[in-house]
Amino acid sequence: MPTGRTWHDRHLGPLFVLPATLMLAAVLIFPAAMTLKLSLTHEGGGRWSLALVHYLKAFRDPVLAQTFRNTFAFVALSLAGHLLLGLALALALNQALPGQTFFRLIALVPWTVPDVIAGIIFRWVFNPIHGCLNPLLQSVIPGFPANFSWLSSPTLAFPSLIFANIWRGYPLVMVMLLAGLMAIPRELYEAAAVDGAGRVKRFLHVTLPGLSTIILIALALDMVWEFRRFALVLTMTGGGPGTLTEVLSTLVYKSYFQFFTFEYASAIAILMSVVLFILSLPYIVLVGRQQ
Amino acid sequence: MKSPGAGSARQERRLEVVVSYTLLGLATIYALFPVAWMLSTSLKTEAEAFSLPIRWIPERPTLGAYVEMWTMKPFGIYFYNSTVVSGLTALLSTALGALAGYGFSRFKFRFRTTLMGFFLATQMISGVLVIGPYFQILAAVELYNTLTGLIIAYVTICLPFAAWMSKGYFDSIPKELDEAGLVDGASRLQIFLRIIMPIALPGTVATLLFAFLLAWQDLLWALCLISIDEKRTVTLGVAFAVGEFIVKWPMLTAASLIGSLPTLILYLALQRFYVEGLARGAVKG
Repeated sequence: MPTGRTWHDRHLGPLFVLPATLMLAAVLIFPAAMTLKLSLTHEGGGRWSLALVHYLKAFRDPVLAQTFRNTFAFVALSLAGHLLLGLALALALNQALPGQTFFRLIALVPWTVPDVIAGIIFRWVFNPIHGCLNPLLQSVIPGFPANFSWLSSPTLAFPSLIFANIWRGYPLVMVMLLAGLMAIPRELYEAAAVDGAGRVKRFLHVTLPGLSTIILIALALDMVWEFRRFALVLTMTGGGPGTLTEVLSTLVYKSYFQFFTFEYASAIAILMSVVLFILSLPYIVLVGRQQ
Repeated sequence: MKSPGAGSARQERRLEVVVSYTLLGLATIYALFPVAWMLSTSLKTEAEAFSLPIRWIPERPTLGAYVEMWTMKPFGIYFYNSTVVSGLTALLSTALGALAGYGFSRFKFRFRTTLMGFFLATQMISGVLVIGPYFQILAAVELYNTLTGLIIAYVTICLPFAAWMSKGYFDSIPKELDEAGLVDGASRLQIFLRIIMPIALPGTVATLLFAFLLAWQDLLWALCLISIDEKRTVTLGVAFAVGEFIVKWPMLTAASLIGSLPTLILYLALQRFYVEGLARGAVKG
C-alpha cells in the first residue's frame, strides 16, 4: 500500500468514528460525570466534597442492601433460565425438522413484547381471582388453593417476577445460540461420528466447545440487560410487596422522581454502575482479546 | 447386511426427534399462553372478563374494548409519536453506527483500540445513571417534552451496539473489495456507500431492527423526559392506562396487544435477517 494513502487513512479513520464518539460523550459521558458530581454534593445543593456522605449512608441502608441482593438474584436466576431454555430450544431448532421455521417464529414472540406490556400481561395472568394461572393449576393439581395471590405473597412474588422475566428474555439468548450452532461446521460432527463418538460425546466435544464463546457473549450481554431491567418490574410488582422485589433501576428511579432525593439517587446509580462495570470486565477483556 | 450401529443410530435419531418436538411443543405453550390469555380478555366485555369461573374463550367476542380504548385515549397520537421516534432512532443510529463500524474495521489510527473499548464500555451504562442530569440538560436547552430529546437519547444508547455489530459484519467482508474500489479511483466514502453497505444489508437490517425495538419498547426515558399527553409514546400511554383503567382489563389488554403489534410484525417479517446479522456481526466478531 503506498504510503500516501496510509497517511490519508490515518486521518480518515477518526472522521468516520467522530460523530458517534461525540454523541456518546455528550449524551452519556457528560451526564454520567454530572451524576458523579451530584452524588458528592450535600443535599440541597452547594459545593461538592469528598466527604462521601451519601455513599456512607448507602452502605448503612438496609433497603439498598436488600435491593442489591434482589438484583443479583434477579440477574442470576434470569440468566440461568434464559441459558437453559435458550440452549435447549436452540438445539431443538437446529435439527432441521419439518416445521422448524414455524416453531422459531413462535419462540421469538415474547421478545417482541415491550417490557411494560409483559409486566401487564403477567399481572393479569397472576391475578388471584380473574387471572388464568390459578384455574390452570387447579385443573392440573387437585386441591390447589383458589384465589392464590402470587404477587402479594412475600415468598412467591419474587419467583413470579423471575418466571415472567424468563419468558420475556429467553428468545434473545436462543437466537444468539442458534446463530452460534449454525456456525459450527457440519464436518466436525461427521468427523466425530466417523471416530465413533456418540450423541453425548459429540455434544460435549464438538457442540459445547464450538458454542463456548457465544455462550459467554450471550450471558454477558444478557447480564447487562437484566441488571438494568426496569419497566417489567415497575409494572408487574412495582417493587412490592414492601421492597421485596425492588431492583436497583426501580430504586434509583423512585429516589429521583418519587422521593426527590437526587443526591442519594445519584450515589446509588454510581454504585450500581460500578458494580455492573466490574461484573462485565471479563466480557470486555474477552472481546478485547478477540480483536 | 445391517450393522447393529445403524439400527441404534436410527433409534437415537428417532428419540432426538421426539424429544425435540416435545420441547418445541412445550415452549410454544409457554410462549403463547400469556398472549392468548391477553387476546381472549381483550375480546370480552368487562362483565365477561370478571365472570367466574373464568372463560378461556369469550362467549360472544366483541371488539368493543378496542374501540373504547382507542376513543378514550389518543392512541393514534401515541402511535404516531412512537413511529416517528423509533423510525428516526433506527435510521440515525444505524447510519452513525455503520460509519463508526467502518472506521474501526478498515482503518488503523491512534487510540483506535482505546476508542473501541470506550464504545464497549458505554454499552454497560444504565439509563438511570444519566437520566437525572440528561433531564436537566434537556430542560435547559428546551428539549424537555419533545420527541427530539427522546430521539437523541435513544440514538446514543443504540450507538455502541450498532457500531460493534456493524464492525463485526464489515470484518467478515473481504478488504480486497475496498482496495479494488480504491484502484478504480473511488473515494473511501463512495466505497463505503456503494460497495460495502449493499453487501452488509443483512447486518444493517438487524441493526435497524434492534434500534427500532429498543426505542419502541423503552419506558424509562419516555417516563422521565415526557410529561404531556400529546407527546407520549405507546409504551408510556399504556403505562399510564394501567393507572387509569386499572379494573378495565379488556381495554388494558386491547391496548397492550395493539402496542406490541408493530414490533411483532416487523420482527416476524425480518427475523431471517436478524438471525443472519447476529450470526455474522455479533457472534463471530
